[in-house]
Amino acid sequence: DNLNSTRVIRLGHGLSTSHSVHQGMVYFGEQLEEISGGKFKVQIYPSQQLGTERQCLELLQIGSLDMTKVSAGVLENFSPSIKVFGIPYIFKDKAHTFRVLDGPIGEELLNGTEEYWLKGLGYYDSGSRSFYTINKPVEKPNDLEGLKIRVMESQTAIDMVKSFGGSPTPISWGELYTALQQGVVDGAENNPPSFYLSRHYEVCKYYIIDEHTVLPDVVLMSTHIWNTLNEEEQNWIQTALDLSVIEQRRLWMESEQESLEAVKAAGVQVSYPDKSPFSEMSKSVAEEYGKDPLIKSFIDKIKNTD
Amino acid sequence: MKVRAQIDSVLEKILVIIMSLMVVNVLWQVFSRYLLGDPSSFTDELARYLMIWVGVLGAAYVAGKGNHVAITYFTEKLSPSNFKKVQIIINITILSFAILGMFIGGSRLVYITLVLEQLSPALKIPLGAVYSVIPISGALITFYKILDLKKQAQ
Amino acid sequence: MIEFLPVIILVFSFLVLLTMGVPVAWCIAMSSLFTLMVAMPFSAATTTVSQRIGTGLDSFALLAIPFFILSGQIMSNGGIAHRLISFAKTLVGFLPGGLALINIVSAMMMGAIAGSAMASASAMGTILGPEMEKEGYSKEFGAAVNITSSTTGLVIPPSNTLIVYSLASGGVSIAALFLAGYIPGILTGLFMMMVAIFWAKKHKYPVGKRSSFNEVFVKFVDAVPSLLLLVIVIGGIIGGVFTATEASAVAVLYTLLLSFYYKELSLKDLPKVILESTETTAIVMLLIGASMCMSWVMSYENIPQDISNFLLSISDNRIIILLMINVILLAVGVFMDATPAVLIFTPIFLPIVTELGMDPTHFGIVLMLNLCIGLCTPPVGSVLFVGVGIAKTTISKVIKPLIPLFLVMILSLLLVTYIPQLSLWLPELFGV
Ligand code: NA
Ligand code: NA
Repeated sequence: DNLNSTRVIRLGHGLSTSHSVHQGMVYFGEQLEEISGGKFKVQIYPSQQLGTERQCLELLQIGSLDMTKVSAGVLENFSPSIKVFGIPYIFKDKAHTFRVLDGPIGEELLNGTEEYWLKGLGYYDSGSRSFYTINKPVEKPNDLEGLKIRVMESQTAIDMVKSFGGSPTPISWGELYTALQQGVVDGAENNPPSFYLSRHYEVCKYYIIDEHTVLPDVVLMSTHIWNTLNEEEQNWIQTALDLSVIEQRRLWMESEQESLEAVKAAGVQVSYPDKSPFSEMSKSVAEEYGKDPLIKSFIDKIKNTD
Repeated sequence: MKVRAQIDSVLEKILVIIMSLMVVNVLWQVFSRYLLGDPSSFTDELARYLMIWVGVLGAAYVAGKGNHVAITYFTEKLSPSNFKKVQIIINITILSFAILGMFIGGSRLVYITLVLEQLSPALKIPLGAVYSVIPISGALITFYKILDLKKQAQ
Repeated sequence: MIEFLPVIILVFSFLVLLTMGVPVAWCIAMSSLFTLMVAMPFSAATTTVSQRIGTGLDSFALLAIPFFILSGQIMSNGGIAHRLISFAKTLVGFLPGGLALINIVSAMMMGAIAGSAMASASAMGTILGPEMEKEGYSKEFGAAVNITSSTTGLVIPPSNTLIVYSLASGGVSIAALFLAGYIPGILTGLFMMMVAIFWAKKHKYPVGKRSSFNEVFVKFVDAVPSLLLLVIVIGGIIGGVFTATEASAVAVLYTLLLSFYYKELSLKDLPKVILESTETTAIVMLLIGASMCMSWVMSYENIPQDISNFLLSISDNRIIILLMINVILLAVGVFMDATPAVLIFTPIFLPIVTELGMDPTHFGIVLMLNLCIGLCTPPVGSVLFVGVGIAKTTISKVIKPLIPLFLVMILSLLLVTYIPQLSLWLPELFGV
């Protein structure tokens, strides 16, 4: 009714306010407000206030939440082509990862979510995931043989741990600290900031930086909202988000360094093993997923990106 | 009345089966991990989905029996005729929620999750199947409450 | 003031329905739906309500509730509870309020095992409730003791809710939180025991005679297989064989086998026992699903933040702010379940209290004690619902015996709030 009225974009996510993802989103809000001349405001709901990542995606589809950020591991259950990120050692290094994400392949994967009523807007950095164990140092994949490793609710994560000979054990993130403390599982896998912020380093004394998977965080908007915006408004949102991606990636690098230093100071033995045996052993996952022509085409495209 | 008794009896059997499955499923989770050394990857998810079914379908069964916890402190003091009127309003409230919040809302939820093909992470079953218990229970409560209201109107 | 509209709709419609005697779960669900229907299109509102109720139950930790209810039912039908309590009676039965004391001590132990107040309330209520009634205790007093004592498990480690706090606070040490919980939790339990003794004396509940060593020994031998349950459950958890939630399923299996062995339960009786447990479970689950829905609506409308911002604009004195935070959290606990309350209020209050020089570990324990009280108050109190449901009584009847127990919980809360050493002494002693 009022042309000058402010539109509030509601953005829910599962991380705490100290996380670089949240800070990146705050930056997104500031940028959007400035670019749109105050026509848009972003209201952020952190810490799973509006639900888990899977539930937030559903809320986007339902139309009661405007935006969210989820791990690619969660998004793969909604948009199958995203599974390609779960394949171990699909990226050569960090620079290669960003070239793929920011290039045509990343865009194609983002556009692929639109038929599921989710408009993909961009990728936040979530580093790469590595194993940590309670009391068994791991130097090569064989050391994982018979170890019960907690995995998240994701088929690719289960297959990845199996390929190393470990026993993948799905346990919810919230129950994991106690499960590690009581020895229900022997270890888990995650990126340095999550290992640090979850305090799992109090229990797990070995962190093996094998960097087996790169699961970026994906920022999405409900198509119920996106489709009501005119082209100019869509551009404002995309521009603000692209700026926040740069800011978040910078903050992420900082927090990754800080986290690694903090866990080392707490007595965790951080090791950097030779990644080639890990990469070799997990080739079976890529072969298995490559049977699906859709995934196969993305695997090839990523491999062929310089 | 006969249909109601039949529905009750079918619901009872289903609930007992789901509850038993829940126990067996979690025991299997422990057994497969500790004794077989090969943790099952689906039991955690199955347990949670069975839990949703027991909770929501059980809620419909309990609503049929009129056994949900209420604060009757104020209505206990009413005259019999007013008390009866209040009971009718209570049943209309439950009926409205069953239709709006469970049947209509639940059906759209099932529709969205089915048509957008969301699959559960471990079992790879459609989430729509899990959520289908919500509109089903909504329909059951609607049925129970319409019968209750008919009886009260007499 | 347009921002107050959602609060008014939510609170007003809720209170009207509640007063009319609409079952609490439907009051919560309906008022949440009304509030959302004003905020968003009809189809989004109804679908969201459905999704919140369904996903509110989507938690592995919640499984401990049906399983402990079921194993409790099996224990009371299969001769196990009877043997355990006969043994316990020879130990403390000669004290005034002996059964209530047994309940409190067992609840603190159960809380220490299971980490879930609802699981503890369901197990103890099912086992001890009928015994207390047989001994001439009022049903309501038994339920009140069971409800409040079950919440000590939130503070006495291990506690899932403390882990949630650590996550929400951005990394307060879980080890420190766990150590910090012991003294406040045990202190609260001791206060409750004093209330139980006083109440039992006042109402002249029967006091048993002191048992001879021989009687104690005979009852002990009889109870050994039942006591083994505790050894299996605690041993299994500590030994890392299973999680606390899985332990509840193991308890079902063990109690079932033992009941068959005692020949006090037959396969033919089993469906009836399971159905009864399912009914109790469903009553609780609908309440939890509906509460999760209401919590979502409140978060969505920023109701908690608005209220606390308003109250905190009143003063900047440390003692008054702490008192106000306690009052706000108590009020929050009245309407909200513990986990969502922790998730929503930790990021709001933690920066304020740390600025005032309060230790985050200390604040975590204060937060828990507040929410312990909230779990026992209507309208949204999951432990209250479990306790009342199992005792087959009503919320309004159980309020009277609850009041003295609330008073000692508040006393314990005030002591823990203003004497930081009660929480911080143990973590400092162990250097975590
Ligand atoms: Na506990
Ligand atoms: Na409450």
